[in-house]
Amino acid sequence: MSTISSTLRRRLSTLVAVAGLGALAGCSGVTYAETQLPTTPAPKPSSSAPAVAAPTCTNATQSYDPLPSLPARADISDGTMRKILDKGFITVGVSADTYLFGARNAFTGGIEGFDIDMARAVAKAIFGDPSKVQLRVITAGDRIPLLQDREIDMVARNMSMTCGRWNDIGFSAEYYRSGQKVLVSKALPGAKDLSLADLKGKRVCAPNGTTSLTKLQQVPGPVVVTAGTHTGCLVLLQQGKADAITGDDTVLAGLAAQDPNTVITSAKAITVEPYGLGLNKADVYLARYINRVVADLEADGEWKTIYNRWLAAPLGPAPAPPTPVYGR
Amino acid sequence: MSAPTTNIPVAIPAGASSGAPAGQHPRTIAGSLSGGLPGARGLASRLLHGTPGRMRLFGLLGVLAALLLGAISVNALLASQSAVERAANNSAQVVHAQSIHVDLLRADAVATNAFLVGGLESPESRAKYEGAMGRVAAGIAEAAAAQPADGNALGVLSQRVQTYAALVEQARSNNRLGLPVGAQYLTQASTGLRADAIPIITQVVAANEERATMEFERSNSSVQLLVGVVSLIGLVGLAVWLARRTHRYLNPSLTGAIALLLVALFVTATVITGISTATRDVSRGDYEQAVALANVTTAANDARANESLTLIKRGSGAANEAAWKTNRTAVDAGLAKTDQSGELTRSWQAYVDAHVKVRTLDNGGHWDDAVKLSTSTADGGAANTFDTFDVAVTQARDSAGKATVTTLEGLGGSAPLVAVVVALVALVASWLIVRGVGQRIEEYR
Repeated sequence: MSTISSTLRRRLSTLVAVAGLGALAGCSGVTYAETQLPTTPAPKPSSSAPAVAAPTCTNATQSYDPLPSLPARADISDGTMRKILDKGFITVGVSADTYLFGARNAFTGGIEGFDIDMARAVAKAIFGDPSKVQLRVITAGDRIPLLQDREIDMVARNMSMTCGRWNDIGFSAEYYRSGQKVLVSKALPGAKDLSLADLKGKRVCAPNGTTSLTKLQQVPGPVVVTAGTHTGCLVLLQQGKADAITGDDTVLAGLAAQDPNTVITSAKAITVEPYGLGLNKADVYLARYINRVVADLEADGEWKTIYNRWLAAPLGPAPAPPTPVYGR
Repeated sequence: MSAPTTNIPVAIPAGASSGAPAGQHPRTIAGSLSGGLPGARGLASRLLHGTPGRMRLFGLLGVLAALLLGAISVNALLASQSAVERAANNSAQVVHAQSIHVDLLRADAVATNAFLVGGLESPESRAKYEGAMGRVAAGIAEAAAAQPADGNALGVLSQRVQTYAALVEQARSNNRLGLPVGAQYLTQASTGLRADAIPIITQVVAANEERATMEFERSNSSVQLLVGVVSLIGLVGLAVWLARRTHRYLNPSLTGAIALLLVALFVTATVITGISTATRDVSRGDYEQAVALANVTTAANDARANESLTLIKRGSGAANEAAWKTNRTAVDAGLAKTDQSGELTRSWQAYVDAHVKVRTLDNGGHWDDAVKLSTSTADGGAANTFDTFDVAVTQARDSAGKATVTTLEGLGGSAPLVAVVVALVALVASWLIVRGVGQRIEEYR
């Protein structure tokens, strides 16, 4: 009997315990697992692929012969030009953040600068109206693919004529000559005289898809940082994520004008950057037409007017326009 | 279970006897008790000896069964009530997080639009931006207080929102100086917002939706009542055993206790089923409506920001226009589910028409006219039609969200009162069982 009673008591106590636990489970508050943060992929290391040796040639600035004179609109039979004429405007890839060359005016919302005036001059020649131009804002890396896909008719976006690019697209004659320089934060010691080679271990920014980046990658020492545009580089510099920016002196002038804490160093330009208007490789007739337009601009003083409008303040009065090379 | 003829007791849940760890300790305790206290052992065997002893034992079990039934019922009632309460809180948190999401996108749409117009932004658009950002800041603090489990995520969100606001301010001050770097800051702000901040808020919404759904399911705790049913069967078994032993078939006290407990169990089950049915109605009605409308509001504001970004990118905004189309599909799908009167659909369509015109103008080379139409507050302008829709859909979402929370909060209201009554009934039933069994023991002597 005593064993039975102890078994019973044991079972009873278990029963009471089970009931008690059940009640506890029901009444106690519910706690939730902490809300998980979304997992973000690790940041990709900036491309520091060794620069491929650029193809060399001696005639990078050589373009096609200009047309003897501008033909009347009705007389133009070239396919590409007919399409542009039928469309009613020419689509030009431009920059919206290269101060002085192609930049959005924050007050009017319009895009303006040296390159934009070149595009408008071409539109004026074709349509008799400088406003018949559709400005399409593109990044430096977009320039060649968009021309090849015929998404745009022309590029007026401080584009250097190089032997490598001639393999992919065509160019007008040279309309501006620039050179690659360095812009540094004034905080660096001896900032005014630093050259790219002096910036060992410093983070130097250049936009993707530019000749400046190719050149930067060939210089041993600096840590390469990239951005979508030169202005993107300026943002990185202002945020302390870059120490210097390299690019064409004209572009750097536009950046320095936006930030008084930066300076373009006195080191000599390490490259010569001849600017041409980029075109589809097949559009030889359009290139010859535009070469006539550019030659006329340079002959009648309009080129100097445009130069002085944008660049006289930071770079001094207009020099003689670059000498075009024809005969390709 | 009926008519036990041996000494092996009934009405013990299966599994209780198989509890190995629980079984060992009591043995030693019982052993030491009986060994150390011979008097206690004697008392126990005397009390439990013979038929009266078994009557005492089964009577005790009957009392325990009654108390267990009462406790389980009270527990189930309170569990249902608190599940509904938590469902209400989680639903409110979902609405909260979605409001933060919408206000972030609204602020971004206003900022990019002001930039698109060019020049100095109007005081109205500045006020609109600040209003949205103010609501975001307050909303994050409130949401963090409401759900501690969201605290960490909301802390990170707050950090990202600050980064966004700082970048927008930098864009604004550069813009005032006419410097193109301002545009770059704005782009960075918008991109960062969508890449770093929005995913967090989406995660918070998803986590709370999951919690709400979980509580909607928990609101039906009637499974627990099965234990009550087992207790009741045990009591009936006791009555039958007693009747057979004593050959007196009706025991009024015991029968009364069983009847009372049966009613209590039935009432409890009815109340719980009522709560869970009503909760399910809310989860499939107002709550679903509120969530769908919030998704519509979010997608619509994202679409509006994408329209501005497409224009700002001047021909290179194909990705943003594609995003706009995705947003539109989401809005259309949401409205098809929620908009019975068709009024929201009509005002959304008016905006879609304006947007299509904007795109046609821009694609046709008339960027300036496209911007004018996109920012126009005149009749048929994109800004006008969008604002009309935004106000209407936000109102609809707010009222559906409020309806959800208010209805849920009202649902569990009667449960505590019922629980008190059921507890009292269980106590009365226990007393009746003691009385009924005691009567038979007296008669047996």
